[in-house]
Amino acid sequence: MAKGTGPETIIAFGVRLEGDLLAEGDIVIEGEVHGTVKTKGDLRIGDQALVEANIEATNAVVSGEIRGNITVHGKLELFPSSKMTGDVVTEVLAIGPGARVNGTINMGGVETAKGGKKRAAEAVNES
Amino acid sequence: MYCYVYDEALQDRRFERELAQIETRLTDLGIAGKIARLALFREPIALIRDEIRNGVTTIVAVGNDTTLRRVIDAVDDKKTVVAFLPVGAQGDMAGLLGMPVGVAACDVLSARIVEELDAGDVNGKRFLQSVRMEGAHFTVHHGKQYVITPLRKASVEVRNFAVPDDVGVQNPVDGLLSLIIRLPKFSLFKNKTDIGIIPFETMTIAYEKSITASVDGDALQGKDFVFRVIPKALRLVTGKGRKF
Repeated sequence: MAKGTGPETIIAFGVRLEGDLLAEGDIVIEGEVHGTVKTKGDLRIGDQALVEANIEATNAVVSGEIRGNITVHGKLELFPSSKMTGDVVTEVLAIGPGARVNGTINMGGVETAKGGKKRAAEAVNES
Repeated sequence: MYCYVYDEALQDRRFERELAQIETRLTDLGIAGKIARLALFREPIALIRDEIRNGVTTIVAVGNDTTLRRVIDAVDDKKTVVAFLPVGAQGDMAGLLGMPVGVAACDVLSARIVEELDAGDVNGKRFLQSVRMEGAHFTVHHGKQYVITPLRKASVEVRNFAVPDDVGVQNPVDGLLSLIIRLPKFSLFKNKTDIGIIPFETMTIAYEKSITASVDGDALQGKDFVFRVIPKALRLVTGKGRKF
């Protein structure tokens, strides 16, 4: 996965963050986050993590639980242990057997009003 | 112009020979300068600032980590270059800065690779390495952006520059400090520690009760600790083997 420009942020298991987590570099979440998560780098959500937030990242690997919408500009991987409640917008999606997704999935090129094609993440950002 | 600040411990006779060799080598390299000796009742800050006022451009701390810390505390401008010439038993700084111990450091000093290092500030006290805090209940506030609460017993460290360990390498030239939260986890088979790392520019750590923090080894009492990074606060001579 591509690296972000800044240093890595790790929210350890046993730590709760409430608010807006904005980062230039990669983010690893093993604990709890309530609010917003946004990074120019990649995101990894561990299997014991709980994220109640709207998320935006370049690429993401999810093993834990997300309650909120996720926008990924590259590839989103949902591992078998992941639970997702919210809408997904991504270019490329990989779902492991047993992963739960409750929400809409919007991926690849989506039709715009003018008839052209746009990347899914760009279309959602504009709406 | 160079000024060499000798630690008071170097007055011991066992260092005589090594110091003589160092002084000879410095003269050979053409970087000999004035020698100022720290002593029990001599205020180091006033002594070093007097030398800077008298035109010294490079202050060299000769001794150990404590000597270097005293010099760094005294140099409050970004023009003066600080260097370290390790003599005797050493802590972490010689290795971190890539300075060999003893006479070999003279050649590294002469090569003069100057790096601009960040410093940290906690409640008005400057630090180069780290601040360690032990205490039960605390919250971390990153302005109005977010609040971090540990859900079980944890220790906190704020790092600028440290020996690479399980947390990795801290870069003292990136304009950021790192908040490190360690949460020990005890189990029947293997004890392990969960580690959280959060890079930041300014942050406040608030404790329920007053605690004592260790700021580069010095004690600092307080309940709320306000941290900020001072980018490019120090100009330090480093060796090629520096750890950043």
